[in-house]
Amino acid sequence: MAQIILKDLVKAFGSFTAVKGINLEIRDGEFLIMVGPSGCGKTTTLNMISGLVMPSSGEITIGNRVVTRTEPGERGLGMVFQDLALFPHMSVYDNIAFGLRVKHVAAGEIEARVRSAAGAMHIAGLLGKRPGQCSGGEAQRVALARTIVTNPAVYLMDEPLSSLDAKLRIDMRTELKNLHEELKGTFVYVTHDQAEAMTMADRIVVMNAGTIEQLGGPLDIYRRPATRFVAGFFGMPTMNFIDGEIVADNGAPRFAADGLAAAMPKELDAGLAGRKVVLGVRAEHVIARRARAAGTNPGTVRLIEPLGDATLVFFEAEGAERLVAKVDPDTPLSPGAPIHFRFDAASCHLFDPGTGARLN
Amino acid sequence: MSRPGERRFRARAVIVRHAILIAWAAIVMFPIFWMLQTSFKDSGEWVSWPPHWLPHDPTLKNYAQIFTFDVSEAGVAREATEQPFNIWGSLADSVIICTISSLVALIMGAFLAYAISRFNVGGSKFRHMVLLVRMIPPIVVAIPLLMYYAIMVPYASEAVFGARISLFDTRTGMSLLYLTITLPFVIWMMLSFIDEVPYSLEHAARIMGAGRIYTLWKIVLPLVASGMVVTFLFVFILNWAEFLLALTLTHPEVSTLPVLLNKFQSASEGRLYGPQAAIGTVITIPVVILGVLIQKHLVKGFSFGMIRR
Repeated sequence: MAQIILKDLVKAFGSFTAVKGINLEIRDGEFLIMVGPSGCGKTTTLNMISGLVMPSSGEITIGNRVVTRTEPGERGLGMVFQDLALFPHMSVYDNIAFGLRVKHVAAGEIEARVRSAAGAMHIAGLLGKRPGQCSGGEAQRVALARTIVTNPAVYLMDEPLSSLDAKLRIDMRTELKNLHEELKGTFVYVTHDQAEAMTMADRIVVMNAGTIEQLGGPLDIYRRPATRFVAGFFGMPTMNFIDGEIVADNGAPRFAADGLAAAMPKELDAGLAGRKVVLGVRAEHVIARRARAAGTNPGTVRLIEPLGDATLVFFEAEGAERLVAKVDPDTPLSPGAPIHFRFDAASCHLFDPGTGARLN
Repeated sequence: MSRPGERRFRARAVIVRHAILIAWAAIVMFPIFWMLQTSFKDSGEWVSWPPHWLPHDPTLKNYAQIFTFDVSEAGVAREATEQPFNIWGSLADSVIICTISSLVALIMGAFLAYAISRFNVGGSKFRHMVLLVRMIPPIVVAIPLLMYYAIMVPYASEAVFGARISLFDTRTGMSLLYLTITLPFVIWMMLSFIDEVPYSLEHAARIMGAGRIYTLWKIVLPLVASGMVVTFLFVFILNWAEFLLALTLTHPEVSTLPVLLNKFQSASEGRLYGPQAAIGTVITIPVVILGVLIQKHLVKGFSFGMIRR
């Protein structure tokens, strides 16, 4: 059992409060990813779980043990660091064996466990080398082998893939996910890359400015972002946001901005009528055509970005400075051409312009 | 295209460059050459005119004199003054004072630098102020220090402990002094080496259950070992060659080699250039040998970014 419970966790560095009272329950054996922009407090939170940073207040429980003031080495954790933190003066073998030697494991067992961990990470041939002689991907595997060899219940990872090139990073995602399946440990993973979070996580914690914005499964977060921040953070390209208000039009609610109108679902909360809102809509839910049709708004194409499987159309319209739509790659559009667009009413998100909280 | 002309120009540039470098090297090396050859000259040749560029009658008399154990047999010394003009006492003083003070400074400085680097001890600006103490010219502090060493410490100790403890003219006093004046250098140099060791290495070790001392011993120290060797050599040379403070704060019991070098004068013959040159040579050799022995570390220690991440 290694569920982790964070209770009212606060960390202040002088006058700056990095983490402002977090409550979080990480389930045993889950792959939880903390994601957010730089300085949102995700790494500080991870470091408080690891014990490298002492919380200003609050409580941390790992398994059934309160470990708030426990030394990092006594919490039963394994950690992979952003810079991997391999010991440059030791061979790969000694790097992997370090944790076992600290714990005074018998020499024969060390040998067996190091070889088995190295085998599992496919680096058996590197044991005699120094970390400096390993490639980026190999070093990554050494760091993972060093972590799994002590067989911890909880694995903490602080942006472990950020030093790899794009291709390798995507390969390692799959491997990490497989590793999680095999080890069945609790993974707590920190990243600023929303794509990494979406692809690997069982659940995602989105953090911003020291607080949790949303906790949920990858698709929940993508489909029903709890705040405007979360909506803007997830998805490529970034969600379109338009300032406007809700108009109740005889049971057919409408979103209206200067010269721009969009139908809203009938079941929309009637209480929103007359309220100023921010409409959020993802590029794939913007339906854009050359031809005019009922309920569409006119715009002008500014830029075309073909992705292969789809094409991104950046365009301008009255009431919205810059919008983006994801369209079929065969749609004949070119910069400067007129365009007619509408939004998929069921996939529109409404946020409070002040607090950013979800309204629908 | 005048290829041959260009080639001739390049060849000439190489010759000119080497000529300048050789001339410069000759100017720089000449005093050392002169010291070396004088150390093999007998008294008549030291100041002969025109100068003898090489000893006409090479002799080891000077070395015999400075290395003798029996003072009375060394003719020149006996005539000169009553002080024994051999090197053994001073050599022992210098070796003991310099080794102890440099080693203690290295150990203390390494730990202090670690604390400054990792825990920001003294605040963020402290690291830049460490060298401030070195901005005061040594001669300025020499006399106040003499006050402390010769008067205040003895009287204070007598008043407090009932026993007179003098730091003046003692190996302890000199070691303490050298420790104090070189510690800022050690901290400053070790800071740059310890800063190079990523803190995450220590974090990784701690997560795996290693204690602070174990982590220091197994992770940090091996990574800054070359830097420590370089730092030791640097402060050892500083101490080895220090003259002014040693001259002020010792006499007649303790005398480091640079101070001894200054004493080689006699009433009848003026300066004893031969033995002085011999001592100069003897003082220089250990430093050169040390430098050659640890050349590997020197290269490693002075090349920043020595730690591959």
